[in-house]
Amino acid sequence: MNPEADADVLVIGSGAAGAAICNRLSRRGARVVCLEQGDWVDRARLPKAHPDWEVRGRRFWAANPNVRRWPADYPVSSEGQDPIDVYMYNAVGGSQIGFAGNYWRMAPSDFKVRTLDGVGADWPLDYDELSPYYTINEAEVGVAGLAGDPCGPPREPLPNPPAPIGRPGQLLVSAYEKLGWYWWPTEQAITTQAYRGRPACDNRGWCTFGCPQKSLSTADLTYWPGALENGVELRTQARVREIVLGPDGRAVGARYYDPGGIVREARAAVTVVACGGLGTPRLLLMSTSPTHPDGLANSSGLVGKNLMVHVQSFATGLFEEAVDGWNGTWGGTVSTRQFYETDQARDYVRGFIMSGCRGWSPLNLALQIAPWGSKHHQAFDERINHEISLYLCGEDLPEESNRVELDWGHLDGFGMPGVVTHHELNENSRRLGRDMIAHAHQVLEAAGAASVRDFGLAPIWGWHLLGTARMGEDPSTSVADRFNRAHDVPNLFIADGSSMPTSAGVNPSATIQALALRCADHIWESRRDYDSGRSSQIR
Amino acid sequence: MAYDRKQGGHEVAQSSRPDYRLEVGRAEVPVGAPRGFVVLDTARAATLKAWTSALIPAAGRRPDAGAVGAAEYIDATVHLVPSIRPALFHGIDELERLAHAAAGRAFAECGLDERESVLRQLQALDSDAFSMVSDFTYEAYYGHPTVLAAIEAETGWRGDGPITGSSMTPFDVAQLERVRKLPPRYRAITTTPEVKR
Repeated sequence: MNPEADADVLVIGSGAAGAAICNRLSRRGARVVCLEQGDWVDRARLPKAHPDWEVRGRRFWAANPNVRRWPADYPVSSEGQDPIDVYMYNAVGGSQIGFAGNYWRMAPSDFKVRTLDGVGADWPLDYDELSPYYTINEAEVGVAGLAGDPCGPPREPLPNPPAPIGRPGQLLVSAYEKLGWYWWPTEQAITTQAYRGRPACDNRGWCTFGCPQKSLSTADLTYWPGALENGVELRTQARVREIVLGPDGRAVGARYYDPGGIVREARAAVTVVACGGLGTPRLLLMSTSPTHPDGLANSSGLVGKNLMVHVQSFATGLFEEAVDGWNGTWGGTVSTRQFYETDQARDYVRGFIMSGCRGWSPLNLALQIAPWGSKHHQAFDERINHEISLYLCGEDLPEESNRVELDWGHLDGFGMPGVVTHHELNENSRRLGRDMIAHAHQVLEAAGAASVRDFGLAPIWGWHLLGTARMGEDPSTSVADRFNRAHDVPNLFIADGSSMPTSAGVNPSATIQALALRCADHIWESRRDYDSGRSSQIR
Repeated sequence: MAYDRKQGGHEVAQSSRPDYRLEVGRAEVPVGAPRGFVVLDTARAATLKAWTSALIPAAGRRPDAGAVGAAEYIDATVHLVPSIRPALFHGIDELERLAHAAAGRAFAECGLDERESVLRQLQALDSDAFSMVSDFTYEAYYGHPTVLAAIEAETGWRGDGPITGSSMTPFDVAQLERVRKLPPRYRAITTTPEVKR
């Protein structure tokens, strides 16, 4: 084993959070090494670079690692009454490489769920503390949208205008106006005009299938070019086996397998884990030692617990007119937070968004509704280009029984364990979900839909894997402190979606990246704390 | 992929279960590429071609699935994924057995109604093989440029939109006139929390 050159900061994971941290710290002057288990995605292989993009999306680009089986993927099994269909990518850019770009700030109340509504947990920080980092991140990412949304505090103008909403958006606007509800153009991490060297979106749609145009703001395109220019050393195909502790109980770095399968060690004054809601607890639980027999940073027993994924569904309306549902960013029409805040008149707490999308693509639609045989085309033609969908996302409250554990029965290519998730929607989530779907029907009917179908609440889409190493003030009820620092290991940080104490009711990417920037600034500003007695010091 | 939902529900793809969907993830088979049969013998190939044509028959400008190479696509997939060949062979052979029992002739020689009837029997007997062939047939069909062009001509759905892009009218901010006047719709966090609407 060859211990390698020291860095100031070792970041494990190059996704939404890891990329932001690498960029931010290296800009300040820190020496940063990043270990990424996957590799750069060959952009020529992005599905949407090919006419049969939908088919490629089901195989090479499949969001479920059990299907895709890239070399860096590890097995994920799903258990529980409401098993999670896990969607994640292990590559430079992390799971953002397959995201749709919906990009929301959380609301102030999302940070004080326990205080306000008596459920879940409070965050150890509030909206006002995170707000400056949302703003920085929105500029880095090139977010498209409009300031002035009455669902949040006043904020800076966004760097890019909203995406065109097309006919689907217009129909939804007419519905919201008819109902007298609040609505707003959906914010997206998409460059709707040329921005920082990336071109304007040209409305190809189906953003989760990769963006050959480079307008979808994935971390490999936003934070990584600058990070590399700043000198960050990104080691790809580096499968981390464990975080290594020194005799003083502080982290000294990580052991990993290099592309040749040889074990290496990377050392740094500070170690940051940013492997996502499954990968972070997996690594912490694998990092056992005599002083941490149940896994690192796990004195609370909460590493892997409180897994949250959001209560999600789609509702799809059928319209007599053609809606040009092929045209435009898939999630870029208009959204409503009419039912976002807790309302005592309802039989549940917390709330949800409804975000307008466009139509279903041909293969996906056919698989959904077109039976095989002589009635196939009739069923298909009734709906293709005549449907509009609403994406529905509500808050999934933390439950300790919802969890991720190591699965030693299914190993990855390096003999390391896979994971198994356990998930069940609680009664509040079920009530919220039923109400969310009912209101989606109401919107689509108000928009003029002749009929509405929905996807129910099963199975659970695992796009947003959150909460499995949560932040908090109390070391007995949380894993990391208010600056993402592990309670148990003073120079170990956990900075990704796993650190979120609650899920809010919106897509989490913006919050994950804002938290990561804040964490990076804390590491930099408190760097003297990590210097004393270390072989490596932050300059 | 991310939004798939088939009629009759959807199962979570598990690492621990033998499932054709898991097996084919690494089988990249470009749709529409010229290819012949490399795994199936001539007789089984003919049966599979007829099978795919019955799953998605021709209509209007749209060809049947067999005519756009769905059977060859399936053959190419099992070429890359040997573990799912037995299910395919079993399905084809069972289909022939059922066709002879019901109609006294090969499946490919049956009429449309007979084919559908026999396929329904197979669907009940071997749902796994049937679903596999059905899924792959849909993939081969709806990924094919000829089919996408026909869909565009007949429905207006632009199949090349995701490849070529398009221009669109920018969002008109004037539409927000009413909403901008709404009171704040978030709860302000103070020492004593209160709902600010």
